[in-house]
Amino acid sequence: MLVTVFGSLIFLTILTVVSSRLDLGAFNVPLAMLIATTKAALVVGFFMALKYDNRVNSLVFAVGALFVIVFLSFTLLDTAFRGDLPNTTKGTIMEMDAAEAALQARQDAGPGAAVAPVPPPATH
Amino acid sequence: MAQPAAGQPAHLKHYFVSSDQQFDAAKMGMWLFLITEILLFSGMFVAYTVYRVWHPEVFEAASDLLDWKLGGINTLVLLGSSFTVAYGIQRIQRGDRKGLIINLLLTLLCAAIFMGIKYVEYSGKFEAGIFPGGNFAPVGDYHGHDMANYADILFLPQFFSIYFVMTGIHGFHVLVGMGVFTWLVIRSFKGDFSPEYYTPIELTGLYWHLVDIIWIFLFPLLYLI
Repeated sequence: MLVTVFGSLIFLTILTVVSSRLDLGAFNVPLAMLIATTKAALVVGFFMALKYDNRVNSLVFAVGALFVIVFLSFTLLDTAFRGDLPNTTKGTIMEMDAAEAALQARQDAGPGAAVAPVPPPATH
Repeated sequence: MAQPAAGQPAHLKHYFVSSDQQFDAAKMGMWLFLITEILLFSGMFVAYTVYRVWHPEVFEAASDLLDWKLGGINTLVLLGSSFTVAYGIQRIQRGDRKGLIINLLLTLLCAAIFMGIKYVEYSGKFEAGIFPGGNFAPVGDYHGHDMANYADILFLPQFFSIYFVMTGIHGFHVLVGMGVFTWLVIRSFKGDFSPEYYTPIELTGLYWHLVDIIWIFLFPLLYLI
């Protein structure tokens, strides 16, 4: 059985090299990660024998994997979306709302109407 | 230290009920240690992911600079060493001490080949001026790539910082593993291990498989995509 697992790991290694030589566009990275995860699962399940081991060790491993997922996804929630929000200027949200309301008032009054100039958002 | 009670095996500590309980406790302790290792490396994997999301084109260009053949051979070598460890444990479980020693020596050989290839890769990069971070100053020709074309790519030094830190710390783990395996070979020759007691080999095996898993992810991330 160890030989079968070893053979599968060799096959998957060749597969990941071959697939990376082909240009699969957006699928390049997910496919490589899928193959790597499959290989890791084989090593954990059979070489490390977690499949046949005391269940408490599986729990330890699962909790560790969960923390890695939390670490990665919550970091990406920050870094992958930086600059996507409009309210990251130095003015506060209330000041920006006031400036927007003033702009709206000037637009409602129509062209040529004498209205007070829009106050610039205060900077801190 | 209290001696084991009469009729108890020599390896059994007096505070454990049985060999099985002692073995399970040691193994769970090792898994907990492995989790801290996973979290150590996950910090680096997160750094890799963040910078890749920011500059994917740089990472694709950089992976062309790494030799996938050397990385691929190293992957096979490390998988082979994982196999010999797992097989060696199976041997000692069946009382075959000679088989265990042969497999441990094969594991050491694979680890040495891995580090040798890593040495070739690193020295090739240093000759081409590929250093981490601010020391990045590519010159000349590297694997058929004119390094002058790479001097001005923004964030390329960042990739190689990540490359050197990740492979460096991984390589350090391989070296530590080689030290522990050497100690295990010596103890095996002394006849310390038997089907009833092979805990150090089992735990070192777990560590070694984890080092293998880290490389399973590093290889495609750095060399292929």
